[in-house]
Order: sequence, then C-alpha cells, then structure tokens
Amino acid sequence: MTIYPAMYALGISTTDANLLRLDSARALGLGNYTKAWDDEIFTESLWHTLRWVVVNAGGQMLVALPVALLLNTGFRGRGMVRAAILVPWVVPGAVVAIIWRYMVDANYGVLNDVLLRLGVIAETIAWIGEPLPSFIVISTATIWAGFPFFAVTLLAALQVIPEDLYEAARIDGAGAWQRFTKVTLPLLMPTILLLLLLRTIWLAHSVDLIFLMSNGGPGYNNYTVAVYSFILTWSQLLLGYPSALVIMLSVVLLIASVFYIRSIERSREWM
Amino acid sequence: MGAQGVLDWRKGPATGLAAFLIVFVALAPFYWIFNIAVTPEEQSFTQGIRYLPTAFTLDNFVGIFEAVSFGRAFVNSVVVAVSVTAFTIVLSLGAAYAFARFNFRGRRLLIVSLLLIYMLPGILLLVPMMVIFRTLGILNTYPALILAEATHAVPFGVWLLTNYFASLPRELEEAAQVDGCDRMGAMLRIALPLAVPGIVAAALFVFIASWNNFLFAFMFTSGESVRTLPVLLRMFVMGESGVYWGRVMAGAMLTTLPVAIAFLFFQRYLIRGLAAGAVKG
Repeated sequence: MTIYPAMYALGISTTDANLLRLDSARALGLGNYTKAWDDEIFTESLWHTLRWVVVNAGGQMLVALPVALLLNTGFRGRGMVRAAILVPWVVPGAVVAIIWRYMVDANYGVLNDVLLRLGVIAETIAWIGEPLPSFIVISTATIWAGFPFFAVTLLAALQVIPEDLYEAARIDGAGAWQRFTKVTLPLLMPTILLLLLLRTIWLAHSVDLIFLMSNGGPGYNNYTVAVYSFILTWSQLLLGYPSALVIMLSVVLLIASVFYIRSIERSREWM
Repeated sequence: MGAQGVLDWRKGPATGLAAFLIVFVALAPFYWIFNIAVTPEEQSFTQGIRYLPTAFTLDNFVGIFEAVSFGRAFVNSVVVAVSVTAFTIVLSLGAAYAFARFNFRGRRLLIVSLLLIYMLPGILLLVPMMVIFRTLGILNTYPALILAEATHAVPFGVWLLTNYFASLPRELEEAAQVDGCDRMGAMLRIALPLAVPGIVAAALFVFIASWNNFLFAFMFTSGESVRTLPVLLRMFVMGESGVYWGRVMAGAMLTTLPVAIAFLFFQRYLIRGLAAGAVKG
C-alpha cells in the first residue's frame, strides 16, 4: 500500500507528467534532476530548508529540555501542568496557523500592541509580510506546537534515570549543576539525539504551517524544498518535477541520517 | 516523590513561577481564540485591541453554520476520522498480535519495513496517490482521504500495538490454552481485554492525526461535499471577500474542541503510550 506509491514517485520523477495530461507524459531521464540545479527557487529553498530545520529542531529542544527538567522535579500539580502543555500538540495545524497569524496581524495583532506599549518598536510591523519577521513568526508557531511532544518524551527518559545515581553523585560532592552535566545529560543524550533526528526528518518534509501561514511567502522567502514541491503540485498540477525535488530531499536526509547514526554509535564506543 | 535532585529549588516560588509561565505560554493563544470568537465582529475592528471581552455574543458561532458550510465540514471530519480509526485498529490488531506472539520467517524484515514506511514523508506520497486516486476515479470522495491517511496510520498502529502486546505476559494466554482455550480464544478473551489501554492510546493518536490532517485533505477533497474542517478553515482565512476574524475564531474553537476534550479525558493513556514508544523506540 505504501511501497508501491514510493516506487511510483521514483518513476514519475523521470517524466514531465502533469495531472491534466497523464497519458502523454514524456520520459526525461534525469532531466528533472539536472534542471533543478538551474532553478534558483530550488537552490534558494535548499538554504531555507536548512535554516528551517536547524532553527526549529534546535528551538524545540532548547524549550523542551528545561520544561522536562521542571516537570521531573515532581512538584504539586505536575500532572496538570503536563496536560496543559500538551494541549498545543493536539491542536490542528490549521488552527495553530490561524491563531498565530491573527496574533501577529499588522492591524489587529496583540504582538504589535504589546511591543508598542513596551516601547520595543516605534510602529507596527507587518510580521507576515516581511522576509525575516515572517520566518520568526512561523518558527515560533512551529516551536509552540512542537515542543510539548519533545518535552514529554524527554520527561519519560528522565524518569527512568535511577535515583541512586544522583544520590551517589551527591555523596561524592557534586553540586546541582554538576549532577546535571555529569549524570542527567549523558544519560539523556541518546534520547535527545534520536529526537533531534526524527524531528529533523519531520520538519524537512513538513508543509502545513509554512503554507497555511504565508503560502511560503513573502515572495519565495519561506520556500523550503517540501513547500516548493507542494506548491508546484497544487497550483500547476505538475507531478514529475516536484517528485524529483522531494526525492532529492529524501535521499539527502537518508544519507545524512545514516552518517548521523554511525557517528553517534562511534562516539558511544569511546565513552 | 520522584525528586531527581537536579533542581534543588524545586519546592520554592521559582518552580511555581516557572510552571505558571510555561502553562501561560502554552494556553494563552487559546484564550485569544475565545476572546475574538465571542466579541461582536464590528467591535473587534473599531475599538482597538481589548484584552478582555467587553461584550459577549454567539453570533459568530451562528454565522459559521449559516454563511459557510461549517456543519457539513464537521460531519465530513467526523466520518473520515472515525473511519480511519476503525480501519486502522481492525487491521493493526491482528498484525500486531502476530508480530508480538509468533516467530515467523521474515518477521524482523516486516517490522523494519513497517517502520520505514511510517517514516516515509506524506509529501513524497502525495503525487503517486493523486495519480492513483484519479485513475480509480475516487478523487474528492471519502475513500480517497481515508486510504491516504491509513498509509500512515496503519504502520503506526501496528507498531504501537506490537509493543503493547509484547509487554503483556505470555503466560496468561498459555494458561488459558492449557485450560482448553484455543489460540484464537486466548487472543480474544485474554490478550485483547488486557490490551485495551494500548488500543485506546492507538485509536486516539490515529483519531487526532486524522482530525488534524491538512495536507491530504487539502489535495484530495476540494469539493464541499467531502471538505474537512482544516481545509475549510484555510478557506476562511484565504477568502477573497475579506476575513471575518470573529467567525474564523469561532470555527477554530469548534475545530479544536473535539480533540482537546478527547485528549484531556484520555491523556493518561496517551502519555503512557508516548512513554512506551519513547523508551522502546
């Protein structure tokens, strides 16, 4: 059910197929693959993909780790806090996009209002309409929706660290910071590295929030490879060229993942 | 208490403040949805930004049912999500039980390929599915969307339930067999009831993912008769005729409520499911 479509994607990526004239598609060999490198939107979207993945995977991790550590301290009402922070994770992407778009709206947005009152900005910013601000806003929304899953998974990993290890470290005179860097972090590392990998793969292929919040705009400023490919299929009903773009993306990610996993295993052997 | 000794100030005001801050960041946007949804449309845009609603109206909620086909989209979303969930659970249960209990040739290969399939990005499957659905003539029908979502849901369901069955003690089923149950009876009467928490978790994950799905729904259900809520919401905002934010927020609220309520009711199952996956994954 799934292997067949994947093979099909490979086949169709070597043609100039278009949904409206499927039967008369011509074989191009690797034509789509070589054409991509002359396509400035594609080469630009490669950089956007890298920026998107690094900022969002890193951002989610940086938010999730302190949250998980806090939840792990077992204060009263912890269960409620854990449930509350997971709510953004179950919210539909379409709703996440709407609420963040509205909060940063140039005229009615609460973000501009707060920043104006605090004197951070002198006049309202059209967040979605500017290249860098739109990237910041879309990333913020993505981190907001994505950190809960990250945090709860980290929490699960934190909870299986035996209490004895902290006890032993304390007896040996380790302070809170040392217990964190010498006990918690090393034991948490495999989970963090695995989560970062999964998140990277997921983010690189994700389309929803970028498309829903700005259609990839302004201009091509938020086009990642996945978004570009999706928009080509959606607006021009192209099949061949967008498939080639996504396949290149997947292959690059696959190779990167293999190297990543190898290097993790090698570094573990040294420990 | 599971005090882990990292944050020694854990019981002090700093913990409370940090916890409050996290909850605020997570939930404040939902307050904003509510705030705009209950404010009369004309007030939202004439009186500047108000942090507390000064008037309360349900007009926006009535509006989405009258002006756009919100009710229809809601029904579509329910039909698709329930179908995907039922389809996935029925298919995954048998497969998962077999993976967890029988050692057959090619078992490992099948499990690995299942995980690989699960990792295949939706965007890669979009084009082939479009062609297949068009060839079958089912674009713009429920089956197209249900099949498309099942490609992700089934591998996930099998994987989660395999883990769950594997965590149940084999001895209970063996005892049942000694007592005269056949293999099928042992599965249905012993393993299945014990696996209910795992089944609930899998069903919820699949339901939520299906309810929230945008990509497939957007590509395969453009017509009003099968259009789901996320697709309708996008049309609200991208509409040419100006955006009625009050209605948009009312729609967003009603779209979020079913999954938020389901989540809050069953979150224990979900979190246990997450934890099991994380520890074993």
